[in-house]
This record gives sequence, C-alpha cells and structure tokens, in this order.
Amino acid sequence: METVAGSIMVLGAVVAVLAGVGVLRFRTSYARFHAAGKASPVAFMIVAVGASLDLGWGGASRLAVAVGAIVLTLPVAVHLLFRAVHRTTPGDHLVVDELVPAERRPY
Amino acid sequence: MIVAVATGGFVFAGLCALVRVLVGPSLADRVAALDVVLVSAMGAIAVDAARRDDPSALIVLVVMAVVGFTATVAAARYIMSEEKS
Repeated sequence: METVAGSIMVLGAVVAVLAGVGVLRFRTSYARFHAAGKASPVAFMIVAVGASLDLGWGGASRLAVAVGAIVLTLPVAVHLLFRAVHRTTPGDHLVVDELVPAERRPY
Repeated sequence: MIVAVATGGFVFAGLCALVRVLVGPSLADRVAALDVVLVSAMGAIAVDAARRDDPSALIVLVVMAVVGFTATVAAARYIMSEEKS
C-alpha cells in the first residue's frame, strides 16, 4: 500500500485520538460535545481521503457518500445534545450565557 | 505496519471515548461519547477496507452514520422531554 495513503490514514488516526482524548479530558460537557461533534468527522474525512487514495474510484465514491453522511448529520445531532443539556441543567459553569434571555422569552 | 499504527490510533480513541461512556456524569455525555466510539469504529473499518483492498465493506459506513445520527437525535429528544415534565 502506498506510503502516502498510509501516512494520511495515520494522520486521520491522530485526529481521532485527539477527539477521543478531548471527549475524555474536557471538564464541562459543552467542551466534550465540541470534541465529539467536530473532531471526529474531521478524523473520518482525513481517513476517507487516505483510504480512497488506496482503493481507487470504486471505494472513493462509497467513502464520499459516507463522508457526506457523517459530516452532514453528526454536528446537527451533537447540536441537539447541546440544546437538550442547555435546557435541562442549570448552566452553572457558563460564565456568560447569552442564550438565556432568548430561550426563556415566553412564546 | 502503517495500517497497524492507524488501527491502533482508532482503537485508542474508541477506548478513551468508552471510558467517558462509563464515567460520564450525564446521559448526554454518554451519548456523545458513544458517537465518538461509532466514528472511530467507522474509521477502523475504512482502514481495514483499504488494507484488504476491496471496497465492498464501505456501504456499512453509510448505514452506521445514519443510525448513529438517529440514535443521538432520539436520545437528545428524550433528554429534552424530561425538562418539560
């Protein structure tokens, strides 16, 4: 397997390790959601580029669909988690919470 | 050799997220960490497909992405439904 594809895949694995350590080590749950919602799609994108270099056009098209699916859906899902946590738990660790006036306005 | 390093990286990322699933104070942390486990499994599958050089196993990635999204959305809605009650 060409070393170029392999090195790109190792780079994607490094970004995935960053995502995993980020989810593990961050203190507030909002920071953990950032690590989960942003770093892991980037890691998958980099690995998909590396793998499609090696797999040729057939694999590249399938990987492109998988990358499109993950990039379009995962941040949205984690954003929903943000909103769910923001509404249910009192945001004590937030220094400035601009969303409170917008959310608590009577509809 | 390179593939072993890449797969090891994904396994380590999945283990870190798995620890967050076990430790995580709130349900939302667990759901986000499970999402990271899923994405690292997807990356490992992509690396393995590249190693075996057959693109047939890549369709499962799309299914995993959509199922992971649906699960996270369902869990988020469950968490939000608690707030209303």
